[in-house]
Amino acid sequence: MAPPKSQASAPFASRELNGEVLVEELVDLRNAQIQARHLTDCVLALRDLEGTRVSEAASRLKQLASNRFSGQPALASLLVRWSAKLKTEHDVPLLVGHLERLALASALVAAVRRGSDRLPKGGR
Amino acid sequence: MNVDLLSDEAQAQLERWSKKSRALFAELLEDAGSDLQRELLQRAVAAGHTPKEVHAFADELRGMDDDDVFGACTLNENAPQDYTVAQLLRAEADPLYAFELNGHQLDPGEEDEPPPPGPTPPAPEERVHTVALDPISSGLSRKKKEPAAFDAESSDGRGRKMDWQDLGRSPAPPAPPRPVSGSAPAVAPAGAKYIEDLATEATRALGVTWREYELDLPGTLTLEDALAQAAGPVGRGIPVPVAIGPAPGASRRFVLLLQLSTSGKSRAWQLYDPFSSELAWAHEGDLLARVELPFAAKIHRRLTRIAIPTSRSASF
Repeated sequence: MAPPKSQASAPFASRELNGEVLVEELVDLRNAQIQARHLTDCVLALRDLEGTRVSEAASRLKQLASNRFSGQPALASLLVRWSAKLKTEHDVPLLVGHLERLALASALVAAVRRGSDRLPKGGR
Repeated sequence: MNVDLLSDEAQAQLERWSKKSRALFAELLEDAGSDLQRELLQRAVAAGHTPKEVHAFADELRGMDDDDVFGACTLNENAPQDYTVAQLLRAEADPLYAFELNGHQLDPGEEDEPPPPGPTPPAPEERVHTVALDPISSGLSRKKKEPAAFDAESSDGRGRKMDWQDLGRSPAPPAPPRPVSGSAPAVAPAGAKYIEDLATEATRALGVTWREYELDLPGTLTLEDALAQAAGPVGRGIPVPVAIGPAPGASRRFVLLLQLSTSGKSRAWQLYDPFSSELAWAHEGDLLARVELPFAAKIHRRLTRIAIPTSRSASF
């Protein structure tokens, strides 16, 4: 049964959307050599997605995946997977927020690794 | 690329490096943006450049795509600079040399360790040699640990749009000096900063800059204040880097405060350690007790540093 229109659908209502799910995506993208700047570009391209209808948002995500990020299949696949999960209008801003956090976390993980190497007796 | 797969020349040079520098190089290979970048890094090592030079070179390459990297590290023999044959030959084997000949500047900073004893490496002009290409492997493997559960009712940040205009005010202690090069003490020099510039550079395009603070030392933020400062940004979806270690001033690694969850009067923080791939919730009270963190390495007992987002860009 589809969720009521006033609620976010299950994947977006999960408390681990921006925790465990985000970290799994982070690791997958890193293993696929997706750089933080790709995620940043993706987020910037989606910044006006909020307020759009579900069908339009899903279409924009797929379009981005097949055009701009066709050379980054792991990222393109992520966008297509999430586009298929959009069910209600509440899901769209939640997905945008999730992708923003993913971009920030990806950028910060690289900084964390480098910063740890700078610490006295630090790094591992 | 696993360091075991490097060319003999690169391996020979790496053996002259300190253990810490070799570990850093492994990280640089891991973080490189492409196989081409990894290949160029190992060639730079094989050419006898110092760890600092290779580190600076890797930092420059990381933000470039392969076409730009290739152009920056290759000399065009038809270019008007009229390179000598020796320069062209050396540039073929030494991408860092070609990079600099192409007008790029590296700022490797000061050496942080003396060269190890051993034979003096040949002068740069004598170091023209060919580096064998080696198989490339990502060398990435991550263990996944089941995160500890936290039975909170809700997540403050979930569902809220990040608002870069509302990051809150940051505390403003006196501006400390930059990190100090030299032999590594067990405790950080007062006022040293380790991640502020890196985090700012990493998230600048997203409109976020950072200010780093030491915790629980005289004249610095307390952990209580730091968590209060971090609650807003983390609640709005901005992960916050914190250092962990055994004692105040003894930071050993940075991790991220990823999420904040509130249940009644109690709060919990979700921490992510990218080194151990551990993701865990910790009650705020446990963090404030400063005796244990929810990670396997129990030597890291407390939060010792924090970087708090400060900027507010309207471009995002």
